[in-house]
Amino acid sequence: MSQELQLHVNGEPRSVEVGTHETLLGVLRDKLKLFGSRGGCNIGYCGACTVLVDDKPVSSCIMLAVQAEGKRLTTVEGLSEDDKLHPIQQAFLDHSAFQCSYCTPGFILTTKALLAENSSPSREEIREYLVGNLCRCGSYYNIIEAVEDAAGRMRG
Amino acid sequence: MNVGKAVPYIDALERVDGSIGFTINLEFPGMLYARVLRSPSPHARLLKVDASRAEHLPGVLAVLTGADFGPDSDMELFYGGMMSDQPVVARDKVRYVGEPIAVIAAEDPETAERALSFIDVECEDLTPVYDPYEADTEGAPLVHDEYGTNVCSYFKLRHGDIEAGFAEADRVFEHRFYSPAAQQFPLEPHVTIASVDDDSATVWSSTQAPYPVRESVAKVLRLPEDRVRIVVPPLGGGYGGKNFVKLEPMVVAVARKAGRPVKLSLSREEEVVTVTKHPAVVTIKTGVKADGTLTARKVDIHWSGGAYADTTPPVARGGGLTATGPYRVPHAWVDSRAMYTNLPQAGSFRGLAVNQVVWAYESQMDIIADALGMDPLEFRLRNLIDEGENWVTGESMEDSHYKDLIREVADKIGWDKPSRSEGHLKRGKGLSVTLKSTITPSTSRASLKLDANGTLWVFASSVEMGQGVKTVLAQIAADAVGVPLEQVRIVDPDTSVTPYDMTTSSSRSTFSSGGAIRDAAHSLKSQLLDLASEMTRHEPADFEIADGFIRSKNPSGKEILLAELLQRSGCDELFAEGSLETEGGLDPETGQGKGSDHWHQGAGAAEVEVDTETGKVTVLRYHGASYASKVINPTNVRLQNEGNVVYGLGPALFEEIVFDDGRVVNPNLDSYPIPSLEDVPKHLTSSALEAPDAKVPYGVGENTLPSVAAAIGNAVFRATGIRIYDLPITPEKMLRALRAKQEYSK
Repeated sequence: MSQELQLHVNGEPRSVEVGTHETLLGVLRDKLKLFGSRGGCNIGYCGACTVLVDDKPVSSCIMLAVQAEGKRLTTVEGLSEDDKLHPIQQAFLDHSAFQCSYCTPGFILTTKALLAENSSPSREEIREYLVGNLCRCGSYYNIIEAVEDAAGRMRG
Repeated sequence: MNVGKAVPYIDALERVDGSIGFTINLEFPGMLYARVLRSPSPHARLLKVDASRAEHLPGVLAVLTGADFGPDSDMELFYGGMMSDQPVVARDKVRYVGEPIAVIAAEDPETAERALSFIDVECEDLTPVYDPYEADTEGAPLVHDEYGTNVCSYFKLRHGDIEAGFAEADRVFEHRFYSPAAQQFPLEPHVTIASVDDDSATVWSSTQAPYPVRESVAKVLRLPEDRVRIVVPPLGGGYGGKNFVKLEPMVVAVARKAGRPVKLSLSREEEVVTVTKHPAVVTIKTGVKADGTLTARKVDIHWSGGAYADTTPPVARGGGLTATGPYRVPHAWVDSRAMYTNLPQAGSFRGLAVNQVVWAYESQMDIIADALGMDPLEFRLRNLIDEGENWVTGESMEDSHYKDLIREVADKIGWDKPSRSEGHLKRGKGLSVTLKSTITPSTSRASLKLDANGTLWVFASSVEMGQGVKTVLAQIAADAVGVPLEQVRIVDPDTSVTPYDMTTSSSRSTFSSGGAIRDAAHSLKSQLLDLASEMTRHEPADFEIADGFIRSKNPSGKEILLAELLQRSGCDELFAEGSLETEGGLDPETGQGKGSDHWHQGAGAAEVEVDTETGKVTVLRYHGASYASKVINPTNVRLQNEGNVVYGLGPALFEEIVFDDGRVVNPNLDSYPIPSLEDVPKHLTSSALEAPDAKVPYGVGENTLPSVAAAIGNAVFRATGIRIYDLPITPEKMLRALRAKQEYSK
């Protein structure tokens, strides 16, 4: 079974033909070629596929694409404006908050959701909120520092 | 100068905007998708593999089976990174659960997946062997019948007179330590795409070893190596799991059959049967005098290598070579035996081979110190080798800094101050030190091209897998030639343009590719000086190159841009080649000789808290230190040093692949957790020691990883009096041991 799906991705309406069994991650990558969302474990544990659905972080590997109809989707490709990095991206860059960076878009998007809820999170709150995003290279310390810095920048 | 500066990753922008081009993103016109039929049995004779029904399904372009490798085939069945013992797909026998039996290439992944169930397989089960000791006994089932033995690799070290050494000792200690299989777990799985014509092949692969892969692909396709091109985009993690050849042979073989490009990317369930960490049993017997001086050490290691060799020979060697530790041991004896078993092949794992032996020798160092009533730090300092001392291989250990490293971590953890336990929360501190070899002998080549726009192109085959090698090599190249970092471009590995490099492993790239680049830079600079000399009729020695300019050393100090020098000389580009080759090697009977060009050195100190009600071990504080010789980029060094510690927490505390009759029970994160922010110590710090006059950077690589488990295990002992011998140190094991101790004290 497939159907024409109206998605709202990074501020733009996108119409795609999708199978009812297809995951949101599969559609973002294979149909829309948004490769910033990445499959890691494909069972919703590693966070590499994190996207924002109505501003909430969701593991797109375990969400059906049809469930995203009518919702606002944000991927890492939708963060920069006028070729200027989002402050969270800039903080991750400045702190080298990555090594292989396969997990980085997921961390950045979860951070965006965190900072929307809590503009000055403590280290403990950062750890708790980002616990579902895994970095196998082990760059967690730089990530915590980048999140703290991003919070500061966004508070202005 | 760029070397020594914390410059950001040169590819940082594409890492934070998500545009970095991993292999898994690549697609080509007409590309097919592969799926693999895998063995359900750990050990069986293959009686029938009938793919005819699958071949006729709509959308299926090719099915590769053992039957494609008959006497008239244009392909070779066997390949291997170290030994040609692995079939592209199983033909006569299957040797582990998950071994490829057939590969299907179809128009889309779903069709390929569905077609798997249309292949008929019949097999006759054989008795499997899993345990490396059992595999090493007379009459054990043979994993490879034709070899007549299950021994895959055997490393020996003989130094001094071992029996005399034990006779000199006042006390002799013998213990056995166990490390289970674990997963490298790169978040980007293994991915290979191949396009094969009659007389050439191009392969895009997430590999750490483009040149060894080229060799295997050429062998399988029976093509000259110069007709095979291996392209390696940046990796989404490797950790040794992508070292040497993996999926490439089956993908090129099915692509040749299908006549169209084919892509294979593995599921997590397939990842865990593609490569694992070596399970190892280390039995270590140590003689010591009453004053704490070591007299002798005898070590037996049994590695389970799985069904095929992969990188087992260097593991048996690297672990065996270093099994007595960085200590002064006058009489040493090591038998390091790697066995074929009916498990998925074990291969390189971040901290190669040394993780398993450091767990053993550093745990035992604390056991001995405790028995002698000595402080573990003092006991180590009494026995650690000094600068220039002779070691168990008979080689002189130059540039040794083990004492500095252990003092550094002890100081940073506050070794002098006792931990404070409260009620059921027991705290303690532990230390560990690591010595690790780098592949020796080995070769890296590099070339440099300076174009008339002033851009310096660096060609090297070191793979960027997150360790930041492109950034570090750019810094080295910029300084070695004398151009600004912004003018340096690093070309991604592509065997049709980037020159030979052995592998990106063994913590070697900063040293070896960096050395090759410096060598090439030397030649490039002399060409530039010659050009200036020709243009001005001054001697080449009258000029110097810096910041992208060439300037006269005479008082006039005239300078012009390098780009302008090339333009004025009518020269479009200058090209230079360089290499770094290391020498060494060991006698196969005695392990005497030169084991490593230079030695990787690390240490770690942990403070843990053990909840005696739940058995949970929490690492409160950790300091890792490595000897860098010379730091190229402090940011990258910190990421490596601390990333190692985080990575090491998994196998220390919870990572273990569980097999049930050879079948992996816990392939994915729901049952195989890896460290998250919850597990990372609240205080994690690191340092990299440098030598003030160091000429050559060693790189830091994996040096802080192997100490992690023993530092934690030793801290757990000092907190609770419980000694765990088999990793990981799980709450279940702790609780069981705590209860047994309680019972005993009643």
